Amino acid sequence: MKAVFIAYDQAHHHKIIDTLDRLSCRGFTSWEQVSGRGSNTGEPHYGTHAWPSLASAILAMVPDDRVSSLLARLKAIDDESPRLGLRAFVWNIECAI
Amino acid sequence: MSLYGSAVKRPIMTTLCFVAVVVLGLFSLKTLPIDLYPDIETNTLMVMTTYQGASAQDIEQNVTRPLENVLNAVSDLKHISSASRENISVITLEFEYGEDIDVLTNDVRDKLDMISSALPDDAETPIIFKFSTDMIPIIMLSVQAGESTPGLYKILDDAVANPLARISGVGSVSISGAPKREIHIYVDPARLEAYNLSVEQIATIVGAENRNIPGGVFDVGSDTYSLRVQGEFEASEQMADIVVGSYQGRNIFLRDVARIDDSLEERAQTTYNNGERGAMIIIQKQSGANSVEISDKVLKMLPSLQKRLPSDVKLGVIVDTSDNIRNTIDSLVETVMYALLFVVIVVFFFLGRWRATLIITLTIPISLIASFIYLALTGNSLNIVSLSALSISIGMVVDDAIVVLENVTTHIERGSDPKQAAVHGTNEVAISVVASTLTLIAVFFPLTMVTGMTGVLFRQLGWMVTIMMIISTVCALSLTPMLCSLLLRRVTDHGKLYNLLFTPINIALDAVDNAYARLLRLVTSHKTITILLCLGAFVGSIFLMKHVGTEFFPTADDARLSVNLELPIGTRVEIADEVTNRLVNEWREKYPEIQVINYTTGTASSDNTFASLSDNGPHIVSMNIRLTDPGDRDRGITEIARLMRKDLDRYPEYKKAQVNVGGSMGGMGGQASVDFEIYGYDFAETDSVAASLRQMLMSLEGTADVTISRADYQPEYRVDFDREKLAIYGLNLSTAANALRNRINGQTASRFREDGEEYDIKVMYAPESRTAISDIENILIHNAAGQAVRVRDVGKVVEHFTPPTIERKDRERIITVKTVVQGVPMSQIVEQSQARIDKMDIPQGISIQLAGQYEDQQESFSDLLMLAVLILILVYIVMAAQFESYTYPAIIMTSVLFAFSGVFIMLFISGHTLNVMSMIGAIMLIGIVVKNGIVLIDYITLNRERGLSVKKAVILGGKSRLRPVVMTSLTTILGMVPMACGTGQGAEMWRPMGTAVIGGLTFSTILTLLFVPALYCIFAHNGMRNSRRKFHKQLRKQS
Repeated sequence: MKAVFIAYDQAHHHKIIDTLDRLSCRGFTSWEQVSGRGSNTGEPHYGTHAWPSLASAILAMVPDDRVSSLLARLKAIDDESPRLGLRAFVWNIECAI
Repeated sequence: MSLYGSAVKRPIMTTLCFVAVVVLGLFSLKTLPIDLYPDIETNTLMVMTTYQGASAQDIEQNVTRPLENVLNAVSDLKHISSASRENISVITLEFEYGEDIDVLTNDVRDKLDMISSALPDDAETPIIFKFSTDMIPIIMLSVQAGESTPGLYKILDDAVANPLARISGVGSVSISGAPKREIHIYVDPARLEAYNLSVEQIATIVGAENRNIPGGVFDVGSDTYSLRVQGEFEASEQMADIVVGSYQGRNIFLRDVARIDDSLEERAQTTYNNGERGAMIIIQKQSGANSVEISDKVLKMLPSLQKRLPSDVKLGVIVDTSDNIRNTIDSLVETVMYALLFVVIVVFFFLGRWRATLIITLTIPISLIASFIYLALTGNSLNIVSLSALSISIGMVVDDAIVVLENVTTHIERGSDPKQAAVHGTNEVAISVVASTLTLIAVFFPLTMVTGMTGVLFRQLGWMVTIMMIISTVCALSLTPMLCSLLLRRVTDHGKLYNLLFTPINIALDAVDNAYARLLRLVTSHKTITILLCLGAFVGSIFLMKHVGTEFFPTADDARLSVNLELPIGTRVEIADEVTNRLVNEWREKYPEIQVINYTTGTASSDNTFASLSDNGPHIVSMNIRLTDPGDRDRGITEIARLMRKDLDRYPEYKKAQVNVGGSMGGMGGQASVDFEIYGYDFAETDSVAASLRQMLMSLEGTADVTISRADYQPEYRVDFDREKLAIYGLNLSTAANALRNRINGQTASRFREDGEEYDIKVMYAPESRTAISDIENILIHNAAGQAVRVRDVGKVVEHFTPPTIERKDRERIITVKTVVQGVPMSQIVEQSQARIDKMDIPQGISIQLAGQYEDQQESFSDLLMLAVLILILVYIVMAAQFESYTYPAIIMTSVLFAFSGVFIMLFISGHTLNVMSMIGAIMLIGIVVKNGIVLIDYITLNRERGLSVKKAVILGGKSRLRPVVMTSLTTILGMVPMACGTGQGAEMWRPMGTAVIGGLTFSTILTLLFVPALYCIFAHNGMRNSRRKFHKQLRKQS
């Protein structure tokens, strides 16, 4: 089991939920409105006057074998509209109840 | 969930909500009546008191003054004026506009009750009379007749006036120019004297003979019969055989001493239509009825009425006021349509996509149609004001939708799904859209609070625009995102047509953007010079203000002239006819623009309501002229009026001549006039001041028709009876006076009945026996004993002059000298005359004041200036709240200065004056021009928040916001172009407003694009310097 943290522009929300469904990744926790900015490129998403757009975030628990296909699909979404912004980070789950 | 969120999610509900609004709006539109102005409730009451036998001075002293003193205490009274003439006192109370006249009427009635016991015993109870614009006739019909002329009155009364009066909404129908049938018994005084008879005896006998008397009932066998004597004359000739007395044992018949003349009233008004004698039918509406509706019904009825008339009687239309209303409204509707077209073209030009254009243009009909619901709910009508509100708003209602659509497009271009883009894109701009609408509402809502005459007019404008703005904002936040989510797609490659059409446009627009960026670079490096240049332009334009004249309302060309002509008092009606006929023939030849020319002379009979209310008499001629439509002729109405006045100078027969432009609408639409009120008690002194004032005014350039309100002393013959001599002969004054009246004016002996109509039978001296003073002196008066005495034995016939009507205003005697302003602005006449009046030698106790339209103008202007200040404060508050800053709104508000410069420059160039309409235009500009500044400053601050330097933020911000600024300004400017260039009927009214807005917005947009960035740079630099200083100070403190 891996934890995948996906931070993306609000507009992507439905597509990402859709992708998770298609890969049968059931478990996730999402925050609909979060703010932040990328390390290198991308517009900040602050929800302010200067940077009005906002981001959403999902922390999805994905079985190990599906992580790579999920990342591939997420990459495809990001490539489709690079100016919106989408990043995913994967780490291990040590234990769970 | 937000408004736009649910709208995007539920497109069907959103669509149907707006469909419902449109359906309701269209339904309301169907029920809306058409009118020229919003309902202006009357603000005038008249109190009329008759006191038979009292002279003007007596009336003034005993009736008018006590009444005035009491009525002066009624609340909301603006002016109280009065006219005291022989037998009657008329007090006019003018109230502030917008007060409830019914409440005021009750107040007045209460006050009258208080005073009624203090009035002279013989004075009648005062009558309250409401005067309103409803009294102005809505239609005047001409009647031309040939052989039917003698019976014309009856024909018209039966076949035309009665059916017309039955139309609902028609108040009264009066016939003038068709004298009524009257049977005269013209007695020969010499024969009467020979047979020892008197007029009174004959009248009594004729009255006694012309009777039907029921004799009761009686029984014959088993039946009951009624008995009656049928003695009424069946034909007028029968009267000749009445026995009126006996002389030396022989019967004297009426035919022996008199002749029976079955003809028409002796003194009646005569009417000429296009030079031919005929009659005139005047139709007035009931108060509150709609004139267009009534005139439609009347015109529809005319063909069927015509069928019922004899073949030689022809009906025609002289004046149809609804014609003007309909044409004016039609030309405004055309203006609105053009405005719509221009706005659509601008939007398409800038956006380049038909889907986007469709989404934005849909906002226009929805907002406009929704405002009809308001009109229908409040019982208003489609009129000049409500339609100009539509025309003004067209350019502004699209602004919000444009902002929303632009941002949604940006999101889509960035890769968002249209649905997501619609929600998030709208969310980002929602607050600024609401704020910019609030600035506009801050301008238009206060308009609903203006008082006075202008308030009545512009209340509706304020409400309409406010409502349309709110609807357009709601539309921009719900319908626009919903449609964007459905219709907009990410466009990767365009079609061939697009490339062909829009590649050059885009290249041009990009070039303009770049050029503006370069200009901004120059401006930000030379801030002081820029600011000085812009301020120089502003100050320069202020000097132009001196050359722009002011007036109250522009003169409207409603293709109608009314001419009042007055010959010297006492002139016979035949002479008035003859002179006027010459004038009419000359005018009809000289002015091919004249369609119908109609005039009436003579004394009005008392049952002609309209004519008896206006001035009438044998020496007075009132003329109505209808011209062809303004679009079909080269000469304007004021030009024709000017030429006519010149023609009238060549007719010395007329003592007074007035050419009124635009009928008699009063303050609005008519030609401007200036009233000078001379207050003072002494007749002779005020008369001489008035005369010299008139001389002075006539010497000024641009004055015409200078008239003095006080009439001349009227010559008359008076019989001064010697009471002592009367007593010797056993007579009293009233017997003697009545005897005179019966012989000259005639005694109504009885009424002749025929076909259900009654006609007066009058006994009087034959016309040839009452043509000289000696005829009066020879009149025999009989006393109770039957003895006769001649008038010259008991009195003297002397020539006298009756003093004219005594006019008062605000409880002081007054004469008004009035001049029409022709070809120059009203302010010029006021300034020049004021300077000369100051130099005039005015006796003590006499003062001259300016009133009339000038007073109205001053009041309206000060109201509007107050309003402008209020609006400025409100707009500042809205902006300061939005930017959370005191400085930015101040920077933005400088664009208002340039808007005002633009107004003056444009008015100067176009030759329009500063009047109420152009001032309203200027006030609207406050809200419109700050929007440009808001867009610019908003984006510049955004750039700075994103970390750009001041200069870069200004240049980049300017470059990217140039298009929206130019686009929204262009939609408003082009929306106003049809208004400013209109040539249709009534276009004169709104032309100054359109011109003012175009001038102000153009000038202000150009200067705002340079001045605001430069000023922003200075303030931003100062702000940074200050905060840096503060920071250094803090650092020093810490170290």
